Amino acid sequence: MTRGADSALMRAMSWRDEADRIAARRAAATAQGGPEGVEKQHNAGRLTVRERIDAVLDPGSFDEVGRTAGDAETGENGELLSFDPANFVLGFGEIDGRPVVVGGEDFTLRGGSPTLAGLRKSVYAEKLALEYRIPLVRLHEGSGGSVGTPKRPTPPSPVFDAPRFRTVAETLATVPVASAALGAVAGLPAARLVSSHFSVMSKSTAQILVAGPVVVKRAMGEDLTKDELGGAQVHAKNGTVDNAAEDEAASLAEIRTFLSYLPGNVWELPPVMACDDPEDRAEDSLVDIVPRDRRRAFDMRKVIGPVVDTGSFFEMGRGYGRSQITGLARLGGRPVGIWANDGRFLAGSMTADGAQKARRFLELCETFHLPVISLIDEPGFWIGSQAEKDATIRHGANVVLTAAMLSVPWASVMIRRSFGVAQAAHYGPGGYVLAWPSAETGPLPVEGGVAIAYRREIEAAADPDAKRRELEEAMAAKQSPFPRAEAFAVHELIDPRETRGLLCRWLKRQAPKLETLKGPPRFLPRP
Amino acid sequence: MAVNIETETGGTIWKCLVENGQSVAEGDVLFIMEVMKMEVPYEAPVAGTVSDLAIAEGDAVPEDHLALVLT
Repeated sequence: MTRGADSALMRAMSWRDEADRIAARRAAATAQGGPEGVEKQHNAGRLTVRERIDAVLDPGSFDEVGRTAGDAETGENGELLSFDPANFVLGFGEIDGRPVVVGGEDFTLRGGSPTLAGLRKSVYAEKLALEYRIPLVRLHEGSGGSVGTPKRPTPPSPVFDAPRFRTVAETLATVPVASAALGAVAGLPAARLVSSHFSVMSKSTAQILVAGPVVVKRAMGEDLTKDELGGAQVHAKNGTVDNAAEDEAASLAEIRTFLSYLPGNVWELPPVMACDDPEDRAEDSLVDIVPRDRRRAFDMRKVIGPVVDTGSFFEMGRGYGRSQITGLARLGGRPVGIWANDGRFLAGSMTADGAQKARRFLELCETFHLPVISLIDEPGFWIGSQAEKDATIRHGANVVLTAAMLSVPWASVMIRRSFGVAQAAHYGPGGYVLAWPSAETGPLPVEGGVAIAYRREIEAAADPDAKRRELEEAMAAKQSPFPRAEAFAVHELIDPRETRGLLCRWLKRQAPKLETLKGPPRFLPRP
Repeated sequence: MAVNIETETGGTIWKCLVENGQSVAEGDVLFIMEVMKMEVPYEAPVAGTVSDLAIAEGDAVPEDHLALVLT
């Protein structure tokens, strides 16, 4: 027997041919839409989904699920003629050494419009995250179903299948979900993009669209580019996504940062990091930051920065609901949610969009056991005709009631104004209340209150303006925090420089309580 | 590098404290807007020289209005 015949016999008796076919399919899957498809993606200035996955994960940690899923065409002897991989890439990986599920549409294949296997892998992403109870990262670029004929038509799913979005909803109550829009994201992927705890879009490459320009032109008569319809200039300011980052790399970096503050699931507590920033660091600038001139606004971010661990503030939603500032930070290495007013924007008042942003943020904190720290300069609900058109009172009451039902530890620092019904949203049950000497509080700011309560007296005065100013000054003096401290209506009246030290000590004392809060939230979080 | 100073909100220019060609230090107040009865100061994020000043006291300006450039 010749050596060649010997070898052929060995192959026939083993599984080597099949092993080779598996390898061929895997190679085809890794090739994605082929060299042309990949080149087209790169020429448009965008990464492929596999490059995105490598960029968001720790190097070398991707462990793919379902590499052999796709449409195969085979010859008479079972040899592979062609293989179209599923156009959703899915798997496990690690971010900062912690496990995650990661997935995204492959735009180089059918423009990310789901193939049968692609759709199955895509909806399986949530199931995996739920099964393993680890965070889910979705990297989106793709559209929904296509009316074009697929290669292999499949029957519709059975009537008794669970609703497709049920697992999407369940993940929000179970594990952190972070998503990015990195190219055009429309239809189904757009709905999944926003069904997350944190979403970010790449300003240079992404658009988010319910429907694209062609459909919009036909139905609505609007002739717009996809950037005009759904670029960052639209969606970074309307709350569709939390953040807009310069490019894909910056977007993926934000996802890593976001997850660093969160536990792996609702049965765990947020991870505590080593901290070399002294907990009793007293920043001198804090004592000068609030102007004595009550009409002069100040920069609240210059309060947040010095109070939290240096460089640890990660702002979410800066582009919308801008009278409210929300973000994650650490105090002595322990993660917290920071909520503050921005007096530079609409005086820091509670607008309808600011209330929606704050409500969603509080629910994030409640779901993942993040203590809330509110830095208060709240003049009240936004007023005027636009505020009424925006249903400000409904959205405002929503956040007030959300705050009233929270169970996570809550510390409130009265920095300046704390007025009206809206201020109630800034104080949680059993909260720790500190007041700066600049704190003012009451049913409404003196400027409005005096004009209403003393209208007749002001009108009757020889110099109404002087009378109004005199009354305003008298009322402002009554709103001083000293009587509140004397009445034990605040825990402590403090030197602003003591804020960090006191909050760090308070936060340490929450450890036993936080242990008791582990588990699913008492409500169903929604996008 | 030139830094564009744009308004963060709509409002009225209450005080303009700089003119074209003026040198400013980081943290100097450039102008003060009045928004919802609050005075909102805009500080220089970097040291530089003012150019392309496009605001005057009393102007009502929209959000994202390019007020001046620092170079």
